[in-house]
Amino acid sequence: MNIEATLVSDLLPLIVYFGAVLAVTGVMLGGAYFLGQRHSAKAANEPFESGIVPAGDVHIRFSIQFYLLAIFFVIFDMESVFLFAWSVALRESGWPGFIEALIFIGVLLAALIYLWSIGALDWRTRRQRIDAQKSGRRE
Amino acid sequence: MNSSQLIAFLPVICIAAAAVVVMLTIAVRRHFTLTCLMAGLGLLVSLLALAMAGRQGPVQVTPLIRVDAYGRFVMALLLAAGLAVIAFCYDYFKNREGENEELLFLILAALLGASVLVTSCHFATFFIGLETLSVSLFVLVGYVLGQSGSLEAAVKYLVLSGVSSAFLLMGMALIYAQCGQLNFSGIEQYLASQELFNGMVLTGIVFIVAGVGFKLSLVPFHLWTPDVYEGAPAPVTAFIATVSKGAVFILLLRFFLSSGGYFYGPALTVFSVMAVASILVGNVLALLQNNVKRMLAYSSIAHMGYLLIAFIAGGRIAPNLVVESVTFYLVAYFMTTLGAFGVVSILSTPQAEAVALSFYHGLFWRRPGLAAIFTFMLLSLAGIPLTAGFIGKFYIFAAGADGRLWGLLLMLIIGSGLGLYYYLRLIVVMSMSQETGIDAGHEAAFGRVSSVILAVLTVLLVWFGIYPGYLMSLIQGLY
Repeated sequence: MNIEATLVSDLLPLIVYFGAVLAVTGVMLGGAYFLGQRHSAKAANEPFESGIVPAGDVHIRFSIQFYLLAIFFVIFDMESVFLFAWSVALRESGWPGFIEALIFIGVLLAALIYLWSIGALDWRTRRQRIDAQKSGRRE
Repeated sequence: MNSSQLIAFLPVICIAAAAVVVMLTIAVRRHFTLTCLMAGLGLLVSLLALAMAGRQGPVQVTPLIRVDAYGRFVMALLLAAGLAVIAFCYDYFKNREGENEELLFLILAALLGASVLVTSCHFATFFIGLETLSVSLFVLVGYVLGQSGSLEAAVKYLVLSGVSSAFLLMGMALIYAQCGQLNFSGIEQYLASQELFNGMVLTGIVFIVAGVGFKLSLVPFHLWTPDVYEGAPAPVTAFIATVSKGAVFILLLRFFLSSGGYFYGPALTVFSVMAVASILVGNVLALLQNNVKRMLAYSSIAHMGYLLIAFIAGGRIAPNLVVESVTFYLVAYFMTTLGAFGVVSILSTPQAEAVALSFYHGLFWRRPGLAAIFTFMLLSLAGIPLTAGFIGKFYIFAAGADGRLWGLLLMLIIGSGLGLYYYLRLIVVMSMSQETGIDAGHEAAFGRVSSVILAVLTVLLVWFGIYPGYLMSLIQGLY
């Protein structure tokens, strides 16, 4: 059989499916839009029509250190997942696996030492650090 | 892993260890010169390990990596380019305030990725190597914080590179879905056993071509190149133009040679169109540039187009001839590109890059040595005889003629003719007498280390241009 013909006949269910998905979504959204009632009372657009009225701004300013620490957490967390995989297959991987895992942990440790020494784990701002140094010198 | 495998893999291990050592050095003491020395030393040790492993035959290290003579040669080329870039970085960044030491770590990490890339024989190492290379490059491109051009370039490169990686993964997934193999040789076996032309594999190959075409900045995927080249610090630009592109091209060649991609004629048609478009667009747009870095960016697009001609010829001629011509061209391209960007980087500082054409007015009278080196590099890029660039172009021509690709060869000739204009224009500008009123005040200090590297590059360039026999005999036995 011709290859292009095979491809088209294979594609037909996919096209039908795609159309069906579009139709179902359209019916659901459009039905709600046309059949649903509309009213605009004073408090209709508030998140909850009963209970406590929300107050304040959602845009809270976090310290930049927070993001840094969160990223470090994610990275080290991900790396430790690899160690779980190794520990499950500890006996099968044997000594070579053990040595490789040791190297892996060693590199992680080196990264941690690096982060610590450049002060990435220090929560204080640069200003606070300078102030702390000054007061330390005075003592 | 037995001892011969360990010896074969030792160079890569050395680079990884050097990266960790550099990181710990920064942790103990922040000192730019010390860090540069450590990184350079690490690369030298790795080169030594390569020389030690050089006598072995091809070694399969785990199913993922295959270290053969060809991979070793290219790895040595990449490491040598890394050494040159470190030297340029030293002179470029030594007077900059702030934290410059991480630069070296990032260069080592990128070299690690590139080394894995050129020895990979499996989709897993293909992807890991490429990502290690790219992720280090994002940070390198945006290393000079506080300059909007640099940050813009980094973000552009990050986004576009992410998209191209997605294409690459999709292509790999399609091929895997059809073949059930991630190994290059496994894919070849599958394709050889199939009689019918397979649509899924072809789609996968085209996706991979799109992903790789981005990294090589071939024409439909080239839009990031001038902006990133302009925004990145000059030594990093040299690194992207050589190490990143060279490693990816070698991987592409290896993939096609070992997985039977050459069976697929339509893929080669795609490549032919991309080669023609790259040569034309690269050369024509380079004509319009008044910015030296942008001009070199467009010229690098054109050069990748030339290189593709030899690659396409691989469908019709013996693999060892293709490898020979591609490798010689790459060696010449590495030397000239490193040299050209090295001159730009010597003249620049992180605050003010020497990119405007007017900056080069009368360079022959101000810095005769540097201008002479730049002239040699530009002549080699243009492919004038007595430089390695000419022999490289000759190789491409021979491969193309062997494969009877007359149309592509015509494009090569037209492209070279266009190229002459903008290369020679820069030389003419440099030799004009110095006008009064051009401020030479913000010129960078004299970079001693980079000058030595540039002198060595020039000598090699002329040596390989006049007497290419040594390099040829070295390359001939590789594949």
